[in-house]
Amino acid sequence: MVASFDTHVFWEALSSGPYWKGALLALGLTVASISVAIVIGFLLALGRSSRLRAVRGFVFFYNWLFRATPTLLQLLFIWDALPQLWPVFAGSWFTPFLAAFVALSLNEAAYMSEIIRAGLLSVDPGQELAGRALGMSRRQILRRVIVPQSIRIIIPPTGNEFITLLKLTSLASVISVHELLTAANEQASVAFKFAEVYGAALVYYLAMVSVLMLLQSRLERRFTFTSAGRRRRVAAPAVPAVSHDAR
Amino acid sequence: MSRDAILRADAVHKHYGDLEVLRGVTFEVGRGEVKVIIGPSGSGKSTLLRCLALLEEPDAGQVSLEGRRPGRGEVGMVFQRFNLFQNMTALGNVMIGLTEVRRLPKREAREQATEFLARVGLKDKAGQYPDELSGGQQQRVAIARALVMRPQAMLFDEPTSALDVELVREVLDVMEQLANEGMTMVVVSHELRFAHHVASSILMMDEGVVIEEAPPEQFFSAPEHERTRRFLALVE
Ligand SMILES: Nc1ncnc2c1ncn2[C@@H]1O[C@H](COP(=O)(O)OP(=O)(O)O)[C@@H](O)[C@H]1O
Ligand SMILES: [Mg+2]
Repeated sequence: MVASFDTHVFWEALSSGPYWKGALLALGLTVASISVAIVIGFLLALGRSSRLRAVRGFVFFYNWLFRATPTLLQLLFIWDALPQLWPVFAGSWFTPFLAAFVALSLNEAAYMSEIIRAGLLSVDPGQELAGRALGMSRRQILRRVIVPQSIRIIIPPTGNEFITLLKLTSLASVISVHELLTAANEQASVAFKFAEVYGAALVYYLAMVSVLMLLQSRLERRFTFTSAGRRRRVAAPAVPAVSHDAR
Repeated sequence: MSRDAILRADAVHKHYGDLEVLRGVTFEVGRGEVKVIIGPSGSGKSTLLRCLALLEEPDAGQVSLEGRRPGRGEVGMVFQRFNLFQNMTALGNVMIGLTEVRRLPKREAREQATEFLARVGLKDKAGQYPDELSGGQQQRVAIARALVMRPQAMLFDEPTSALDVELVREVLDVMEQLANEGMTMVVVSHELRFAHHVASSILMMDEGVVIEEAPPEQFFSAPEHERTRRFLALVE
């Protein structure tokens, strides 16, 4: 038996308002940021193979900028330095949540662009050739052929990114976004029941990641192209996970 | 040569970097003719077909279909490795050109696609994905996918050389039937029996040029060039 674990405090924490709100905030921030990051990342991935040198240069610069600097620093820069440089950002509309959302989206887009690019490149060039032979435009080929086929490759590393991002939302506590870890910290400093209140936070993170993993496996099946939808043996994803680097 | 040539290559040149792959290829195909191209690996056969299908822009020279530049989907192409869209069923593969390029409504596209799948004997495979079909079946779907666009001419780039021997026949049968129906065809293939049987004439390519062209009888019995003789001896 452990020396002391107050289950009552644990359940209290688990069902308390701040935890719920904190978890929802973390989840919302993650979903919003990764969605935007996927869109920007897709455009960046296309830009990497643009005919225009300036576009390729911009993508290189962007990825370099956001991958070479700590995420925490980017967050602080956007929250504290932007309003100083441009007074529009000093308005009350620029909330901590919004700042965190902008920072995490821009940051994550750099990582997503590499993943999406690898996914697009993994599609056999014969597929594009066949599309062109039919008279399809580049856009049509991308939308109907290449993107659907690359999604299967992109899903697993994107799942990793989602988890990384979910954990990174705790950084937003430094600019006073009341996400899950902030809620746990506040309770801990009141009650000094660390095992109980941090344990409850662990449960929340585990629950959120479990739901994500479930969704991920369903999505993978949806993008495996056989009539039964699941029989094909799936090759190991060609894209290495980049999620465990210290951001 | 035939006066009603519909597909024509005129002094087509193509290079990749320093490599001169096509060094002035000229030939023409009359309506309903079947031209079979043979030649050693690397002689430029695939590059020539890609130029004819406008998948590749010639550096010099011209490609024309009935005296003008071919339009979208007007020259059908069948690849050695089938290149069926992996994310679509057999039916989806045959429909997509109709819905995306021809802008037909789905219902009509489905009807036509089903009809063309039936023509290559694969109506019952409509719902299967490429991964679930044999190589021969995939290649027949690929033929249907090109045919449904009602091309003026069909190009085949070694359509049976990626197939297990027992599957070659079913693809050649479909191609022969197509030839009999009067389709204009250019076929890169080393299936000499098929060439003998179906070709209007046979072309020998070497190092980026056509070195000779003749009707099958003459081509096989009395090839003009030593190079051709040696190559035929190798292939047989
Ligand atoms: N896209 C390309 N880029 C560079 N070299 C190419 C390309 N396509 C073909 N080649 C080269 O051109 C030559 C002719 O190729 P190809 O037309 O495929 O010949 P064949 O079909 O007769 O075997 C080969 O040496 C090949 O390596
Ligand atoms: Mg070839």
